[in-house]
Amino acid sequence: MTIPREVVELDDATLIESSLNEPEVFAVLFDRHAPQLHRYVTRRLGSSEAEDVVADTFLAAFQRRGHYDRGRPDARPWLYGIASNLIGKRRRAETNLYRAYIRSGVHPAEIPGGQVENGINTLAVNRPLAQALLRLTRADRDVLLLVAWAELSYQEVADALSIPLGTVASRLNRARLQIRQTLEQEGHAE
Amino acid sequence: MTMDTLKTMWESIPPATPEDLAGARRRLLDGMHARRRVVTVPRLLVAAGVAAAVAVTPLFVGTGTSAYAVSRSPDGTLTVTLSGLRDPEGLEAELGKAGVKADVTFLEPGMRCVAPRFVGVDESYGGPPVDGPDELREQVRTVRSFKAIRASSGTFQIYPEYIKPHETLVLEFSDGENAQVLWRLGSWLAKAGSPVKPCTPVAMGN
Repeated sequence: MTIPREVVELDDATLIESSLNEPEVFAVLFDRHAPQLHRYVTRRLGSSEAEDVVADTFLAAFQRRGHYDRGRPDARPWLYGIASNLIGKRRRAETNLYRAYIRSGVHPAEIPGGQVENGINTLAVNRPLAQALLRLTRADRDVLLLVAWAELSYQEVADALSIPLGTVASRLNRARLQIRQTLEQEGHAE
Repeated sequence: MTMDTLKTMWESIPPATPEDLAGARRRLLDGMHARRRVVTVPRLLVAAGVAAAVAVTPLFVGTGTSAYAVSRSPDGTLTVTLSGLRDPEGLEAELGKAGVKADVTFLEPGMRCVAPRFVGVDESYGGPPVDGPDELREQVRTVRSFKAIRASSGTFQIYPEYIKPHETLVLEFSDGENAQVLWRLGSWLAKAGSPVKPCTPVAMGN
């Protein structure tokens, strides 16, 4: 199916509601959010897993669309929440990716040559970061990366993971502290 | 600072391209259709064209698979199921039998008819350019031409109560560009007494 480029911008809640009667409208939601969701999952799992997770996320969302809270115009917290669960089921792929990066200094999806100039500095910071991410609990890592990489607000993270706002804050503090300590050990904290 | 450092980690990884997402999109579409044999039709709205004689087109993307058929429900609504774009006169005749005077054109992919072919009953045809999505949405909600027809569930519906005597329902279908899009439809009402000129096809965007 082709969605015309000029599709009128309706908010996500309206699209999801329309998709109850006209399911293919849901593809507009895919086109709107899949590119960034794919990027997020790629950062965490690598590109080979990302396609599956994105497909499963949208299929699950499609099945559950009847329960979507129409008071939330932006569907990103909902979609990233579903994706977080799916990522959680592939924890080994995530830890393998961080370990491989620590060993090789190469993320499989990074554009080669993209950061030649400061490549060495980047690596010097990213390696300990990967180490720190590896040590976080799954719950803390979800919160931290939803904020840092998916750029969700604290409230959106709370919505995504169905946890209280206070829990978001405490997990985030704990994760940041742990990251900072790791960087300090490596002499990169500022 | 920790957060800023983390934000830059692997930030050169780009958002996915349509090619990256093609497989996932296919799976979503297949999953959508798994429970229905007849694929549904989204009602998608586009602002068509610019400058003079702008036609505001509510664009329906059809993905149904059965041959065209017209049926009438007890409330008078006509349901039209359409697959391949063949025999426009036959569809006109079917609609005529159901009491709707229609002018049907089937076009090649990526084509539209040069406007104006007729005088529209409202600003949806030949009116000023639409000023943004909000206005288009408002028009779709309020303008009679748009109320007279809408698509859902693999078909489109015609609501004759919005069509006044001697008005012509003008339908311009363009053939889909691939197997998933069987057709796209622009629809308007021509004023009573305004003849509908034959279509001169031109590429969309011209």
